[in-house]
Amino acid sequence: MTKHRLVGGAGGVFASLLLAFLLWLALPAVAFAHAALISAEPADNAILAESPVRFTLTFNEPVSPLKLTLVRPDGTPVGLSDFHVDGGTVAIDAPGRLGQGTHVLSWRVVSADGHPVAGSLLFSVGAPSAAPPATEPIDWPLDIAIWIGKVALYAGLFLGIGGAFALAWMARGRDGFHATALFLIAGLAAAPLSLGLQGLDALGAPLARFADPAVWQAAQSTSFAWTVLAAIAALGLGLLSLVLPGRRLLSLAALAGTGIALAASGHASAAEPQWLTRPLVFLHGAAIAFWAGALPPLGLALKRRKADAPAFLARFSRTILPVVAVLVLSGTVLAIVQVQEPSALLSTAYGRLLTAKLALLIVLFGLAAFNRWRLTAPAEAGEGRASARLARSIAIEIALVVAIFGIAAGWRFTPPPRALAIAAAEPAAMHIHTEKAMADLSVTPGHAGPVSASITIMTGDFGPLDAKAVTLVLSKPDSGIEPLKRDATKPGDGTWRVDGLVIPVAGRWSARLDILVSDFDMVQIEAPIDIRPQ
Amino acid sequence: MTKHRLLTCATALFLTTGTALAHVTLETGEAAVGSTYKAVLRVPHGCEGKATTAVRVKLPEGFIAAKPMPKAGWELRTVKGKYAKSYELWGEKVTEGVQEVDWTGGNLPDAYYDEFVLRGTFAGDLVAGETAYFPVVQECEGGTVERWIQIPQAGQSEDDLETPAPGVKLLPKK
Repeated sequence: MTKHRLVGGAGGVFASLLLAFLLWLALPAVAFAHAALISAEPADNAILAESPVRFTLTFNEPVSPLKLTLVRPDGTPVGLSDFHVDGGTVAIDAPGRLGQGTHVLSWRVVSADGHPVAGSLLFSVGAPSAAPPATEPIDWPLDIAIWIGKVALYAGLFLGIGGAFALAWMARGRDGFHATALFLIAGLAAAPLSLGLQGLDALGAPLARFADPAVWQAAQSTSFAWTVLAAIAALGLGLLSLVLPGRRLLSLAALAGTGIALAASGHASAAEPQWLTRPLVFLHGAAIAFWAGALPPLGLALKRRKADAPAFLARFSRTILPVVAVLVLSGTVLAIVQVQEPSALLSTAYGRLLTAKLALLIVLFGLAAFNRWRLTAPAEAGEGRASARLARSIAIEIALVVAIFGIAAGWRFTPPPRALAIAAAEPAAMHIHTEKAMADLSVTPGHAGPVSASITIMTGDFGPLDAKAVTLVLSKPDSGIEPLKRDATKPGDGTWRVDGLVIPVAGRWSARLDILVSDFDMVQIEAPIDIRPQ
Repeated sequence: MTKHRLLTCATALFLTTGTALAHVTLETGEAAVGSTYKAVLRVPHGCEGKATTAVRVKLPEGFIAAKPMPKAGWELRTVKGKYAKSYELWGEKVTEGVQEVDWTGGNLPDAYYDEFVLRGTFAGDLVAGETAYFPVVQECEGGTVERWIQIPQAGQSEDDLETPAPGVKLLPKK
């Protein structure tokens, strides 16, 4: 835009310029030049022992602040209105005592040209920190339904199929037949319902959308669909074994199906190394079914003082020791794979559930040992009082087993420490491809807190791009965070790195790369990058 | 003269003046293709408060037969090279010339203002309506550098850029 085009004649030009100049003088007293931040207190990246009382920003020219924001470690922005300006120095009072962690001080000031200049600096009180985990709202009705479905499925797989197996292989009578059939039917009902609930959970949809085909489609694509399929087959075989001849083979196949159903999905089966974890889950599941499933028919037979009860008990107590050994061994190895560090037993939700389960297991094993070594021999000998005590004791065992199922079903909601560690270390990445240049930026770990950024650059047509300098510019306008600039260094492996970076807040950031191709040629590329909460 | 026009004028003056003071800029923002052009680079301040010690400018393609004006207290250096194509100047073919001019070894404190001058010709076959950019690298004490080298992309205006390169709008041949 030039003056010539705006007015006509020479006199007009002069008059209008004079008036314009006077008007310009009358404009609010803005400073005269492009402002640049010269120094700041606290300095960028500073770690302070104490909460600062004030912040000072010094510019090379007089400035007038437009917006000053402090973003707290939890991501809440606080507008800073207590400041005074002395030429190029802006002194800002801190909004009270600051908590521990990394804060962002963002400034947007105006200088001569009315062109706002903005930037951010980071400082930490105590030590660099990250945002606290963002809590996802819990859908209680859905979670409770998932939990009930899971417990019912366990009842079918362990008590139902285990019961069918015990009836086929160890019992002579039909005690526990109805209970077993009931468990199997409950499991058969729960299996497809659980699949639908899984779909709801995968989509984050509420219970009301249970009939939505999209929900079922989502469920089908999860590994849990295989578990449900195997469980339905196993439960069906279990039911058939109750009524058809050849019940031994059918119930054995059902027991194997229990192991397969459990190994098909779940935290433990997903763990590496899979050649170890999946067979262990299979053995663990089959052993649980063998033990837990035998308890109701055995208890009922003993309670009813059936003539065949001692023989049933004798067969059970002969085989149970190796089965429990398999159970304990597989469980121990899986727990080590999942929990990794003993401290995680208490520090993570998964670990606490495991601890609770172990506590119940110790009680259960104590009770089982007492039954095995104190009550079994007299009961096998046909002593009435011992049989009655054993039946009562078995009833308590069953209650404990069901409680353990309840806890194990709770794992559905807690990622194991192994998975937590993998998820936490996962980098956040973005790829930008423009005509002039392309870049891969990865931020490791990809969550708020201290991170490193690694940058690979290439020309737009995949050729090598030997840049003179690369600057990473991060901003998050929705949190009031103005551009944070960090120069990248070249470690010599063809990449560019920014170390010692702290990303103060989780969420969608805008990442810009200023690539200085030659002295006079800079390419800027920009894209969003998602930073997870810690 | 309407009030509206006056305000527009005031705004224009305010904006142009502001921009002129804010960045390294050219004194004359327009030139006709096929005309000689005296490029006066105005350096309004140092880098982040530090004194300027070097000013380097890369000349746009089609700005031919360029000669810098020596400046007392500054060493002058030019980088010559082949143009992307050959241009015609006063009936002669020109294929090479000065492409970069460096003034180094000087000292211009942040509080002072100075100008750096060179002259050349916008070749007659340049396209009117386009802008020719003169990217400038300003070096200061302590190794700090300001690069006035950003060129607006399609849909961007110079005001969107933090460190725009000075530009000259090319006008139709006179």
